[in-house]
Amino acid sequence: MSAPSDLAVRVADRLGGLAGPWDVFAERSRRFEIHLNGLTVELTRGPIVLEGYGLRLLRAIDGQTGIGYQASTDPSDEGVRAAVEDAEKFARFNQFPAQHPELPSGRPPVGTGVTIVDPALWSNPSGSLEGFAAALLAAFEGRNGVVPSFSSVKATLVETSIANSAGLAHAYPHTVVETEVAVKAFGGPEGRPPGEYWFTNIGRRLDSRPLPALAADWSRFAEDARHAGSTPNGEVPVVLPPEVLAGIVPNVLRFQFGAAARLRGLGVESASSVGIEGLDIVDDGLLDWGIGSSPVDDEGTPQRRRGLISNGKVSELLFDVLHADALGAKSTGSGARTSGIDPSASVSRKFTRRPMPDASTIVIPAGDGGTDAEVIEQVDDGIWVQQIGWAEPDGLSGRFGGEIRIGYRIRHGKLAEPVRGGTVGGVVVAREGAPSLLRDLLVVGSRPELVGSLSSPTLLIRSLPVSGDGPPAATATP
Amino acid sequence: MTLDSKSLSTAASPPLRGVVFRAWSGTRWVETAVSGLDERALVGAGESLESQLAAGRSGSPPPGPSATTVGSFDTAPRRPMRDLGTEGALAWVREVFRWLTDVPTIKFARVSLNWADEERYYLNTAGANCFQRLNRVHAGVVPVAIENGRSEFDAYSIGRLGGQEALDDISEATARRVSEGARSLLTAKAPPSGLMNVLLDPGTTGTFAHESFGHGTEADQFVRNRSYLQPLLGQTVGPEFLTIVDDGSIPGGWGSIYFDDEGHRSQRTPLVDRGRFVGALHDRGTAFALGATPTGNTRRADFLGQAFVRMTNTSVEPGDWSFDELVSEARDGVLLERWVSGMEDPLGGRMQLKVLKGHRIENGKVTDLVSAMALSGSVLQFLRDIRGIASAEHRYIDAGFCGKGYGDMLPVGDGGTYLLSRALVGPS
Repeated sequence: MSAPSDLAVRVADRLGGLAGPWDVFAERSRRFEIHLNGLTVELTRGPIVLEGYGLRLLRAIDGQTGIGYQASTDPSDEGVRAAVEDAEKFARFNQFPAQHPELPSGRPPVGTGVTIVDPALWSNPSGSLEGFAAALLAAFEGRNGVVPSFSSVKATLVETSIANSAGLAHAYPHTVVETEVAVKAFGGPEGRPPGEYWFTNIGRRLDSRPLPALAADWSRFAEDARHAGSTPNGEVPVVLPPEVLAGIVPNVLRFQFGAAARLRGLGVESASSVGIEGLDIVDDGLLDWGIGSSPVDDEGTPQRRRGLISNGKVSELLFDVLHADALGAKSTGSGARTSGIDPSASVSRKFTRRPMPDASTIVIPAGDGGTDAEVIEQVDDGIWVQQIGWAEPDGLSGRFGGEIRIGYRIRHGKLAEPVRGGTVGGVVVAREGAPSLLRDLLVVGSRPELVGSLSSPTLLIRSLPVSGDGPPAATATP
Repeated sequence: MTLDSKSLSTAASPPLRGVVFRAWSGTRWVETAVSGLDERALVGAGESLESQLAAGRSGSPPPGPSATTVGSFDTAPRRPMRDLGTEGALAWVREVFRWLTDVPTIKFARVSLNWADEERYYLNTAGANCFQRLNRVHAGVVPVAIENGRSEFDAYSIGRLGGQEALDDISEATARRVSEGARSLLTAKAPPSGLMNVLLDPGTTGTFAHESFGHGTEADQFVRNRSYLQPLLGQTVGPEFLTIVDDGSIPGGWGSIYFDDEGHRSQRTPLVDRGRFVGALHDRGTAFALGATPTGNTRRADFLGQAFVRMTNTSVEPGDWSFDELVSEARDGVLLERWVSGMEDPLGGRMQLKVLKGHRIENGKVTDLVSAMALSGSVLQFLRDIRGIASAEHRYIDAGFCGKGYGDMLPVGDGGTYLLSRALVGPS
């Protein structure tokens, strides 16, 4: 692999004698895509090439910091000059309550490497995608009444570089893979309408090895959706696998533990109790294959593991450079140029956004609950939620909720009939004394999986409100 | 520009310029794209495309006729946002912030104001050569009320094609009402749960039209045999007074465009006409496959994004009920207000709509305020259960953003008036 693009350094060289503090965050990305309609390739895209940088100036104004920011896709002398002029203009208007923000300097320590590049994908992106698509289709061969109605796989090869007025110059490559597969089950003598399981994931690598097993699971979920019964109504013990938790937990914790919330009087309170005794949750910026992992954050501060919750209590918050200064702390390497709206933009168009405190990968460590089957054994009457339409967690209130697209009734410690419809919801983090997902954790499974920006085992929640049109479940909890 | 209780942030989006090339290989579309308009970048993208085409087999001609639109189209607002200047915009943001935070218990507030001047060219080998300039304005407020350790927020936003006149939609009275909304949520009761009569406010009706119904009318889902609506084309799906349209030609609409990203002019496309499902949204490929005509709904998020069949402004047309008549007709149920989101299920035909708040309806009267709710159920059953739609005086088209799969976010308008039906209500 060749050295990653040093665009940030090339832009920094054009800044001449620009007064600091300033930093430049740059990306060169190449994107490749394959889109399938059924078993046919309907569109190939790539390379989709995007090269750009964001220039940030920090200016002392009336005891505060004026932040000037401008992004550009033009690295020429003229383009950089225009970006500087715009950034200086905006710095005069903007106010942030930091007084002496310190940008990181020097090179990050060697040896804190993190695996975030799929080498086969990097060296042969089109061929790797074609191989993955072929393996995906092969995984469905011989399955009667099941077809991937559409699917896509998108790979982005990104070269990130950062330079600043304190002398930092760093560059690293990373890969991002987005997969989407809609599996349809149809046919049969009963004349039932078709059922679907819609899988999406964002990760760091193309790995076709688990596809046969995944295809079997997806096919079963799609078939079960065709004859699923009603979801019960009431407060119900609920088992949530990592696929579902990934759509709930990170979005709440990233806000609640972010210093931006703290600065504004929102979010969790220091040392407050937010989870069960013994619960530890960390944000790991160096987790191999983590979608938020990188050797340094988007301001150049070395990444690390951050203990957010220790023994059920708030332990550490997430700081970038500016919020650290405003609150008298040090950056935790959590300066991220992410977007809450567009997940794919969070990993390949970062140069268009300013850094804010954010989480990398939320890690809920393995507990002693055992396998999924052993977690289920702990439930007499409840439900396993396999997929929620969109849990849409709200960071501020901590609430989440959405329609159960496919789930299973649990009866006497075993998975029973499939259920569908109705909503399940709750609160991830609540003030002391109020019920919440982290406070009502009953069993923590022993087999964590990395899904999106969460690594977690399956969790059993004592009870969550479920609104279905089926009869109420027995409310007894183990 | 974003002002909150602790910081002011002003920045210009990067002037992203770029080109996407698309060509038919004989069996599939092939695309390359590049940021920048310099010759080196363009030649490189062109060569990448040619190398892929050379590797492809010969086959059929591209599906459907190419657009031949020629012309230049411009929003041309009378009071462009750029004339407001940074100082003027800042003054507006500060004033709205003051209105929001004058309300007791509002401890935090955020005001955002964004505008974008977007220019799109479309050219093809059939002679299409068209240009459009779209001036989009979007503003939003989020006041947060905090008391006794409990925090609640309300939100309101506006968006349209145009200029400074869009800002008139956020008045002092509006801002204070939103703050009072956040404050009142501090004492809101828990929402009801179960199957009940539901009265949707205009924004929530629009979200239903877009998310729950509209996604099933995107004809790429038909080609994939992935729409529960496909077998129902031409059939009655709702009451005679129900009409749902997608209209990308609404002047000033947040989701309006002059032509789509295949060069076809935007238009008004009836989806449901007096209760009958009559139409789908097409690009040239789906139109060719299904014997229809393109409807001007091919959209890319930008030159880096894929061209899909997408909605523009999707709405339920007004009926002739008054609000009070709908409440009386509901008798018992819940009024859902301030939509948050919706989620499509094109094959299964299920729906998920989330709102920030609502009110109980008891004995034909609007009563207690209740907190966030989610609505679910079968879209077709919901359509069959529609009992009334309010008149045009309540009509409103909200400004939303829609993704397709991961990302590819686009501005879309979702509109309607109050609509009474029946669905499952649960926690959010």
